[in-house]
Amino acid sequence: MADAGSVIEAVRRSEDSRRRSLSAFALAFVAFGVAFAAIAAARGEVFFLRLATEALIFGGLALSADILLGYAGMLSLGQALFFGLGAYVSALVLKNVLPSFWLAMLVTLLVTTLIGLIAAVIATRARGVYFALITFGLAQVVAKVVFNTPSLGASDGIIGVPVIAIDLGVGQVTAASPAAFFLFCLAFIMALYCLCAYLARTPGGRVLAAIRSNEDRVPFLGYPVTRARMLAFVLAADVAALSGALYPVLRGFVSPELLYFEVSGNAIITVIIGGMGTLIGPLYGSALIVVLKSVIGSYTAHHLIVIGSLFVLAVIFFPQGLIGAVRPSLERRFALRAAPLRR
Amino acid sequence: MNARRRSSFGGGSPSRLQPDVDTGPLLAVHDLSVHFGALRAVDQVSFGVAKRSITSVIGPNGAGKSTLFNLISGSIRPDRGRVVFRDVDVTGWSSNRLLDIGLARSFQVTNLFFELPVFENLRLAAQRLEPTWRAMLPTPRSTRALRRAEELIVRFGLAHKATEAAGALSHGEQRRLEIAVALASKPELMLLDEPTQGMSHVDTAETAALIRSIADEVTVLLIEHDVRLVMDLSDHVIVMHQGAKLAEGDPASVRMDGKVQAAYFGEAVHA
Repeated sequence: MADAGSVIEAVRRSEDSRRRSLSAFALAFVAFGVAFAAIAAARGEVFFLRLATEALIFGGLALSADILLGYAGMLSLGQALFFGLGAYVSALVLKNVLPSFWLAMLVTLLVTTLIGLIAAVIATRARGVYFALITFGLAQVVAKVVFNTPSLGASDGIIGVPVIAIDLGVGQVTAASPAAFFLFCLAFIMALYCLCAYLARTPGGRVLAAIRSNEDRVPFLGYPVTRARMLAFVLAADVAALSGALYPVLRGFVSPELLYFEVSGNAIITVIIGGMGTLIGPLYGSALIVVLKSVIGSYTAHHLIVIGSLFVLAVIFFPQGLIGAVRPSLERRFALRAAPLRR
Repeated sequence: MNARRRSSFGGGSPSRLQPDVDTGPLLAVHDLSVHFGALRAVDQVSFGVAKRSITSVIGPNGAGKSTLFNLISGSIRPDRGRVVFRDVDVTGWSSNRLLDIGLARSFQVTNLFFELPVFENLRLAAQRLEPTWRAMLPTPRSTRALRRAEELIVRFGLAHKATEAAGALSHGEQRRLEIAVALASKPELMLLDEPTQGMSHVDTAETAALIRSIADEVTVLLIEHDVRLVMDLSDHVIVMHQGAKLAEGDPASVRMDGKVQAAYFGEAVHA
């Protein structure tokens, strides 16, 4: 039988190989991003740089959906509520208060945390399908309210958000430069990813995994389930909103469509295609979907038919998503490489 | 009664109470009742559980044993009566609050985190030994929880399965892990709901030895079908029948009790 000292060591090794395979995916994502930016900038591909920036922004939304679905086991059909909220708050601050990126982010964070808490109180009491329907309903209500509020631009949304320069302390990034702003968004979204990946590994984050695995048992370990679900909900709301807050900086406008179900539904599809419960998967998924849309879209206007079919096939043949399909072999490789060193 | 006080109370959780002085029983149930529709599932049941004892609740199927456990452990609220644990009235407390003051339970139907590794099942349970603020620090900082999980996984003979999913364990191993998980937070009182359910004779004997060994550090309240096991293990036995308490006492006197023999042992011993 294994002795005491080797148990923690074996557990650590097994957790390490899982963590490292995901870190490898994250590093590769950054490497792809930087390489893409270098090539696209050299060739002056403004359109593709802006498209890729949008993929990152919607990747942040998918990341937030994965916190709920992949970790806490909560299917939210209303993440667009917070994504749109972030976009609107950021647009309003930048246009009407001060064209300061960090102020817009701070206000977005505060407003979303408050509204996220209120929504969490309403939504997290419900489970499963009922939770999904409540989040769906909340997002629809807010979308319709925004659509009918003239002071928020009603159906037109808010246009004329100024092009801003983001102060980084050591220098500035202007949103007018597609390559620089793409790299900034890459860093921003990866920072959100790192935060989420860190939290998922802490004891608190692991309680979410426990809730997903067997919710009924968790109270008997001493953890209040509803509070944990609420915290996850607010965290996901903040991640979605901070991603959404980048949107008006990129596009110079926001519209009520950002709050629609299509956005929430796409986020879920992105999570599943990328790999649920991996956090990095949704970012790959978002990039993949944007690439497919633009490549297939250049051949046919009916690209949604193709993408829908691909989604069905992906769920049947790669239920673990892109990351899930590749990860096991990568994990084995890490395990093999790690083992001889420690023996 | 060997009501030895524990020198240290293990838990670093600030919400935990200080160990109280040996005034009365660790757990006292007064006049507890609950009904489901017309069925009086638990009917005016009162008893006490002394510190460091193994107390067993026996009775035929449908006698209300599991309902009694659910009432004590916060799963359902009683219609009437009180549950007093460590001199605190805990009637109607939520399960997570009860665990915080040292009342843990296991389940008759194995209730684990089947997708998670065996070690992680234990570590999650042991994490309650850490202060709450450590929940947002890296897991390796929670050394107390890790040591506790490690200690239990070795003691319960599951060390070689540490990184396997709990769902991949055999039935007997899962039943052992179920007890270990309940024990991980160093509770004062453990409610064990049919720990040997579905076990072979060999596994049952091993589990009995395990329960005896954990009784050194924790008070045990047990539901068990295996009468021989109960009589062998318990300091105190409570017999339930049709929701009410029929008799209680030490194993020998319960065995001699005429009412008990009529209602229960008559069939069960020869079954």
